[in-house]
Amino acid sequence: MSLLELTDVTRSVRLADDRVLHILRGVTLSVDAGEHVAVVGRSGTGKSTLLNLLGLLDSPTEGEYLLDGTSTRRLSGRRRARLRGASFGFVFQQFNLLTGRTVLENVAAPLLYARGRQFWSRNRLAAEMLERVGLGDRLDDLPDRLSGGEQQRVAIARALVRRPRVILADEPTGALDVDTGGAVMTLLDDIARESGAALVTITHDLAVAARSSRHYRLADGVLVPVTLVAPDRPGSLAEWVGDVPTLGATADGTPADGAPAGVGAAPARPALPGGAA
Amino acid sequence: MTGLAGALVEAWDELRVHKLRVLLSLIGVAAAVMAITGVTAAVDMLGQAMREQTERWSGRDTTLSVSAWSATGTGDGSAASAAMLDVVDRYAVTYASRTTWGQVAAELPGGAQVLSGQMVDPAYGIIHRIVPAQGRYFVPGDAERLAPTLVVNAAFLSALGADDLSGHPTVVLQGQQPVTAEVIGVVPDQYPGEPPTYTVLLDQADRWGLAVDPWGQGTQPPTLELWVPPAHVDALRERVTADLTAALPGFQVDATTPEGSPAVLDTASRWVVIAVSGFALLLGGLGLLNIALVTVRQRIREIGIRRSFGATSGRVFFGVLLESVVATLVAGAVGVALAVVALDVLPVDRLLGTVLQDRPPFPLSAALTGLACAAGVGALAGLLPAVWAVRVKVIDAIRY
Repeated sequence: MSLLELTDVTRSVRLADDRVLHILRGVTLSVDAGEHVAVVGRSGTGKSTLLNLLGLLDSPTEGEYLLDGTSTRRLSGRRRARLRGASFGFVFQQFNLLTGRTVLENVAAPLLYARGRQFWSRNRLAAEMLERVGLGDRLDDLPDRLSGGEQQRVAIARALVRRPRVILADEPTGALDVDTGGAVMTLLDDIARESGAALVTITHDLAVAARSSRHYRLADGVLVPVTLVAPDRPGSLAEWVGDVPTLGATADGTPADGAPAGVGAAPARPALPGGAA
Repeated sequence: MTGLAGALVEAWDELRVHKLRVLLSLIGVAAAVMAITGVTAAVDMLGQAMREQTERWSGRDTTLSVSAWSATGTGDGSAASAAMLDVVDRYAVTYASRTTWGQVAAELPGGAQVLSGQMVDPAYGIIHRIVPAQGRYFVPGDAERLAPTLVVNAAFLSALGADDLSGHPTVVLQGQQPVTAEVIGVVPDQYPGEPPTYTVLLDQADRWGLAVDPWGQGTQPPTLELWVPPAHVDALRERVTADLTAALPGFQVDATTPEGSPAVLDTASRWVVIAVSGFALLLGGLGLLNIALVTVRQRIREIGIRRSFGATSGRVFFGVLLESVVATLVAGAVGVALAVVALDVLPVDRLLGTVLQDRPPFPLSAALTGLACAAGVGALAGLLPAVWAVRVKVIDAIRY
C-alpha cells in the first residue's frame, strides 16, 4: 500500500462561459513513504493543481485519492485540514513566509495548529529545526532581512517542523540562483531523508528534478512517467519538456523516439540513480 | 485546550504585528469605554454629591428623627431632653444629637443684636456632614469647657469684624448670664445674604441659659437625631417611640426617617450616559469593522498559508473573530485604565461644584459593562471579516 495513491484522477473547472476546462486528466500516481518524486512540465499544465490535490488543498473532480490507503473523497473540511497539517509540509516557490513575524515565529506557526506537546514546545521545536537548517543564529530576525536562500531554508524548516510524512515542494528553487538553489535542494533532500518523509517536487529545473528517484512529466493535464538522463549541455525547459519531446518519455520509461542527439546517449553528468520510472 | 490557546496566541500575534492598525482602529473603542466608565463614575459622584447635600439638611440616610411635643403645649422640655439622653444610653447609639433652636442677644461691634442659633450635641456635625470652612466643629470635650464655644456662619464672623479665626474671636452672649463665647469654627453661608447665625452645644446652652425659646413658649423639648445602621432603623423607631411615650406622659412622640433620594435622577443620568456611550461605542465598532475588512483582504495570502499548515475553516473564522475581540478587550481595558487615571487626577467633585466627603468607589460594574460592550462590539465587527476569511479558497489565497 502506497502512502499517496492517485487513480485516474481528473480535475476540471467550469469557466464563466460554461465551458469545462480539464486541468488534470486521468492522473495515476503512487508515492511510497520516503520516496522522492519529481514532476516537470510547462507552466499551465496543471503541476500546481496536482500538488494541491496531493496536499488536500483541493479535491479531484473524478477519480480516487487514497492517503495511506484511506479514501479522501468523503473527508470533512475539518478532517482534511487536520490531515493536511499533520501529514504534509509545503515548500513554495515564493517562500510564503509570514511578514512581520520573526524567523522563529514563522517556523513555529504550523505548530499553533498541532496538539499536546508539539503545541506547548513549539518554540523549542522550531529553534531545533532552524538549527538543523543552519539558521540557529537568526531566530529573531525578520524574513526580509534574510537572503533568498535563507528564506527558503526557513520555509523548509517550517515545512518540516511538524515532522510530516510528505513534503510537497512547488518550484522550491524557482526564486533562487543556480548555486543557492542547489544548496537548498541538497538540504531539502537530506532533511527529507533524515525524517523519512516522502518528497514530491514540482519544478522546471531538470537539475532539481534529477535529484529524485522517479520523474514524471505533466503535459496538458496528463501525467507521464519519464526516464531522465542529463544531457551534455544546459537545456532549457522548452527543449526538455516542451512540445518537442526532447526528453524521452514513454509509458514504460524508455526514451522516446525523436529525442535529439545527445539526450539519453552521452550524459556529461552521470545518469541519475533510479532513472527508470 | 490547545486549540483555544493556539487561537489566542495567533490572535495576539496578529495584533502585535499590526500594532499601528490596531491602535488606529481601536481609539474609538477605547474612548467609548472610557466614556462609559468615566461618566458612570462621574454620575455616581454627582449622585453622592446630591446625597451629601441632602444629608446636610436632613441628616444621614438612616437617621431616625424623634420629636416629642406636649399635647397641651406646657410640657417640660428638660424632662424630654433627659429622657432622650436615656434612650441614647440604653441603645448605645454612637451618633446621636439633640437639636433645638433659640435666640440670644450677642454683643457685636455694631451693637447688640438678637441672633437665632441652633443648639446641638457634638455628633450633629457627623450626622449632618458639617465640614467647617475654617476651624473645627464641636468635639465631646467642648461640653466640659468653662466657656461656651460657637460654630458660626461666615456672616456672623463678618459681623464680628474678623476675617478668620487666627485672632481667636470671641463674642459676649447675653443669656440668663452674660458669657463670653469663643468662635471655634466657621461654616459657609447657606445662601447669599444669610443673617448671622450660630451653633452652640446644648449642654453649654443649658448651663448659660442660652436656650431661650424664640417664641416665648418656655423650654421646648429638643428633637433627637439617631444615626443608626440601616438594619436597625425600623426596630429602633418602634422601641424609641414606645420608650419615650412611656417616659413622657402627656407627650406625643413621633419618629421618622428622611424620605426621598436622588435615585431617580441617578437612574435618568445613567441611562443618558449609557445611550450616549453606546452610540460612541457603535461608531468605534464601525471604524473597527471598516479597517478589519480592509486588512483581511490584505491578508488573504497569509490566511491561505495558514490553511496549508492545517488551520481549519473554523479556526480561521475563530481566529479572525478573536483578533477583533481581543483587540477591543485590550482597548476596553485601556479605556477603563484611562478612566481610573482621569478620575484620580482630575478634581471631578470640584468640577461638579462640591467637595465629597465620601468618594464613591470606582464603578466596577460600569468598567465590566464597558469591557463586555467592547468585546461585543469586537465580536460584531469581527464577524464579517471572519466570514469573508473563511470563504477564501485556499489555493487562490496562497497564490494571491
